[in-house]
Amino acid sequence: MSSIDISAVTKRYGTETALEGLDLTVERGEIYGFLGPNGAGKSTTINLVLDFIRPTEGEVRVFDLDAQSDSLEIRERTGILPEGAELYDRLTGRQHVEFAIESKRADDDPDELIERVGLSSDDADRKAGGYSKGMAQRLMLATALVGDPDLLILDEPSTGLDPNGARQMREIIREENARGATVFFSSHVLGQVEAVCDRVGILRDGDLIAEDTVDGLRDAMPNETRLRVILDRVPDDSSAALEAVESVDGVSSVTPEGRTIVVACEDRAKTTVLHTIEEYGVTVEDFETDESSLEDLFMAYTSDSAGSTGVVQ
Amino acid sequence: MSSIVVAKKDFRDAMRSRVLLGLIALFSLFTVGGAFLASRVSELFDSGGGETTVDLILALQTPASFLVPVIALVVGYGAIAGERESGSLKFLLGLPHRRRDVVLGKVLGRTAVVAVSILIGFGVGLIGLVAFIGEVSIVDYVTFTLVTVLFGFVYVCIGVGLSSMTRSTTKAAIGAFGLVVLFWFLWSFLSQALLYVVEGEFLPDTLPDWFLVMNSLTPDAAYGSAIAAVLSDNQFTVASTYETAGLTDGSLPVVAEPWFGFVLLAIWALVPLGLGLWRFDSIDL
Repeated sequence: MSSIDISAVTKRYGTETALEGLDLTVERGEIYGFLGPNGAGKSTTINLVLDFIRPTEGEVRVFDLDAQSDSLEIRERTGILPEGAELYDRLTGRQHVEFAIESKRADDDPDELIERVGLSSDDADRKAGGYSKGMAQRLMLATALVGDPDLLILDEPSTGLDPNGARQMREIIREENARGATVFFSSHVLGQVEAVCDRVGILRDGDLIAEDTVDGLRDAMPNETRLRVILDRVPDDSSAALEAVESVDGVSSVTPEGRTIVVACEDRAKTTVLHTIEEYGVTVEDFETDESSLEDLFMAYTSDSAGSTGVVQ
Repeated sequence: MSSIVVAKKDFRDAMRSRVLLGLIALFSLFTVGGAFLASRVSELFDSGGGETTVDLILALQTPASFLVPVIALVVGYGAIAGERESGSLKFLLGLPHRRRDVVLGKVLGRTAVVAVSILIGFGVGLIGLVAFIGEVSIVDYVTFTLVTVLFGFVYVCIGVGLSSMTRSTTKAAIGAFGLVVLFWFLWSFLSQALLYVVEGEFLPDTLPDWFLVMNSLTPDAAYGSAIAAVLSDNQFTVASTYETAGLTDGSLPVVAEPWFGFVLLAIWALVPLGLGLWRFDSIDL
């Protein structure tokens, strides 16, 4: 059984088309990542599922219920972290959670939820008007978890979170999924979707251009990484060092730029490259990799050479 | 009851607004001022204690029929539009509440807010009354207060109704204060102009029924009629001014009758609220 079933949905605002004939199915029990740049139509899709907006054409079903006429029942079983949602400035964090509990007629302990999302009880006593974006996001997640929902809909959940917060968010998503909840979450950051999802749909300009498993996604991703290694100094025998790096299995090119060496290589070769350089008596001060960008991924899925089986249309 | 949950939350939230506290203070000032004026007037005319409560209520009716709409509209105009503008409506509707529960909850919550400010204002007025006059008909005063709360409810319905129809608080505010201006200034001007057009003179010997009807239609006039009905004292109605001046033929049209004030108040509450509910249910957030 599917948790979300969107079929042939078009949404137009006047002459502008936000979604064009979208078909999308989220299976029960999976973590579905909804990936696409800002403005691709991710929030529009989520707003349709939540009945915040109504489709121009097509049908949206959740738990096999009609998203419009059965919206109340759907929202009773769903936890939502909407994008661009604001809290009530004059109410405290705890009052928000209590309100969500009362609204869902659940019996959760507000303090437990607050602690789970990484807010302190001091934070919970403060008015939400003084919260940072990250704290607001955590609080919103706490309200989404109320009543152990069957479905979690998270729209750009890591907005405003630091890396540690984003990691906690992912942990909670996994825990909820392990409990049996279906998770549907959108992001414009590839890494977050990749880290936690079972299946990924890629949306661009209101079109679902690909749907794939995360493994399929990884295969489709350009597998070459550009590794920039910053050394404390240029090695004494620099040409020998460069040669040694070049000969590492998986490295395709090496370019020195003063103290920095740029290495184009496969992901698996990264560690070997760093060790090899250090054998030449220099210290690696810092290194960074260029992550495959979303644009590269689009290229991979839309160009013929990708040849991925997961591509729709 | 989903709307009760929303109302409770909304009441908590709205009671913390500083603007509201300012309005309550202003309102209290007016009721004390009204009580003081009423005491002066009653001293001048040396009327008895029973009369003075009615005098006070007369003195309070004018500031109340101006300030209660202002308070109720200030409290109501942002109820839905403000939440749409800020995005908190997505949080609210992400929880299992029907859209109509949200609107009704807002009406209840904000009516409670307005009721609290009226009770505080009139409570202060009562203290003033006891201090200045010393003798009060509590029953009349409480009845008057309750009708005023009803009047506040009507304007909350108007404010929340307007707020449900638009995405912009600016538009809702313009609508709300446009109504205040319409009812307070334009309405009598329009009816006067219409009288001149129809009758050919500004002050005919006997005013036509339609003129009395028109002047009894506004929520503010309906409020006066309703007070007159519960206090059995016709001097609160709009028509009474014309009656005293001998400008009526002795019989009042139904609409200008005191009891009809309640019917008008109900219409003024339910029509904007109904339109707001209908509109809010069909829009994209």
